[in-house]
Amino acid sequence: MTTTDGPKSSAREDLERRLRGRRPGSALKFIGPFSPLLLLVVWEAASRGGLLDARFFPPPTSIAGTFWELLTTGTLLEHSLITLTRVGIGIVLGGVPGLVLGIAFGAVQWLRVLAGPIFASLLPIPKIAILPLLLLIFGVEETSKYVIVAIGVFFYIFYNTMGGVLQTPPIYFDVARTSGASRWRTWSTVALPAALPSIFTGLKLAVGGAFVVIAASEFLGSRTGVGYMIWSAWQTLAVSKMFVGIVTISLLGYLAGLLVALVERRLVPWSRQ
Amino acid sequence: MAEPAIDVRGVWKGFHDARRDQTVIAIENFSFSAAPGEFICVLGPSGCGKSTLLRILADLDTQDLGEVRVNGHASVVFQEHGVFPWLSVEDNVGYPLKVRGVGRAERRRRVAPLLDLIGLTDFKGAYPHQLSGGMRQRTSVARALADDGEVLLMDEPFGALDEQTRLVLQQELLRIWQDSGKTVVFITHSVDEALTLADRVLVMSARPGRLLADVAVPFGRPRDILELRRDPRYGEVTYELWRLLRADAATSASPEEVAP
Ligand SMILES: Nc1ncnc2c1ncn2[C@@H]1O[C@H](COP(=O)(O)OP(=O)(O)OP(=O)(O)O)[C@@H](O)[C@H]1O
Ligand SMILES: [Mg+2]
Repeated sequence: MTTTDGPKSSAREDLERRLRGRRPGSALKFIGPFSPLLLLVVWEAASRGGLLDARFFPPPTSIAGTFWELLTTGTLLEHSLITLTRVGIGIVLGGVPGLVLGIAFGAVQWLRVLAGPIFASLLPIPKIAILPLLLLIFGVEETSKYVIVAIGVFFYIFYNTMGGVLQTPPIYFDVARTSGASRWRTWSTVALPAALPSIFTGLKLAVGGAFVVIAASEFLGSRTGVGYMIWSAWQTLAVSKMFVGIVTISLLGYLAGLLVALVERRLVPWSRQ
Repeated sequence: MAEPAIDVRGVWKGFHDARRDQTVIAIENFSFSAAPGEFICVLGPSGCGKSTLLRILADLDTQDLGEVRVNGHASVVFQEHGVFPWLSVEDNVGYPLKVRGVGRAERRRRVAPLLDLIGLTDFKGAYPHQLSGGMRQRTSVARALADDGEVLLMDEPFGALDEQTRLVLQQELLRIWQDSGKTVVFITHSVDEALTLADRVLVMSARPGRLLADVAVPFGRPRDILELRRDPRYGEVTYELWRLLRADAATSASPEEVAP
């Protein structure tokens, strides 16, 4: 006999502690996020040492100075809020119909067969290509920005939702049916949750796409927003300011993506990440 | 005699695959009926059409020929479980109640004894991906019991379980069945399981699935499924069923399959 009670239970406690605290490569995980700093250091040195043309690539410290200046005067915050509002409203405006139609098209075959080609034919149009048309219709005010973001977002959500529903194993619908679920209940209790992981994939792509579209639309059709900031900096050759705009819009996009990932973890706890 | 709970007359079901231009007859001229409260086991080799028959009884598929009547609501345990990955064990079991508008508190109250029955009370908050295959299977059994139809259709519900757990759940199923008066159609490919549970065993041939024999099980009720195995008749009926299955295997196997 080699089993005893003492060592066994302490081994178990040991294992439980390890399972609770298990984080993949925790030391590396802490260092990882800071590796881009190295890039900044190299950039700084190269720009100051003349290896990089400082007219196009001003040293990061000088960009940081401009950043601070724009931040304290409130200009940066103002433009950021405007851009975020446009993106936010556009996502809701395009996402909700994308979700509803995506589920309907995924669950109803005749709808997909009859009306699917309509969306398929509109999909390849580069969204920014219709900006002039939208400006014509909705004017240079906010509405045109909401609409162009919404159109871009719609397609991401629509196709990913529909795909999610279509990929649902049919057995789940069988279970709903034998449990006596109504059609509406089947949509809300099977089609929607089954498609959620795919919907979130669409939402992440949509957020990325929304920032691309809004930046481009603010270049030309606007006198506000971070996109406008970048464009006007080009016109006045204020390169530092341009970099501030680029960093800001990247940061906003990154944070928005983080927010989506956070919501996903709450709403899709069953997915294994 | 009372009206049968299930009546199947001359049912045929085939599948056509246009891509390979092949037709498979899954069920051939199948007839049987079950009296209310009867426990029927369907026994047959893999691919003989058992699940197809069950889907037809559950009204998820339609037969190509023949008539099928099922009296009352049928609850189904699927072979592939069909446990929803997005619901906890407790919510999976309570799902049929939820879609019928039963409130949360009442659902909890009714699900609790079922979780106890399948031994998953400690896992009620877990998601299916955190369970073993057998635990998922037990969850789907509990869901069908929560559904509480007059007819219970079970497709190899204990297939993924170890012998011990299976024995316990078989005994529990018999108890529930006897208390509830449900009509049960239970699919299995285990001769032992069929004898243990059934009033009658429908033996199916290899594809296309025909009814080979309708064997009455001689044991009384209630049964102790362990003691049952000491009954001298147990060996006899086991032999009888194996004989039927072997004769069928010999006639239906294709030459390649019998070659050494
Ligand atoms: N949806 C389908 N499309 C085409 N063929 C099918 C379909 N469902 C079943 N079949 C065919 O019908 C036959 C019977 O299948 P079924 O699933 O009923 O077998 P089974 O008796 O349940 O087998 P097992 O014990 O392995 O579960 C098989 O040959 C299968 O290929
Ligand atoms: Mg089967």
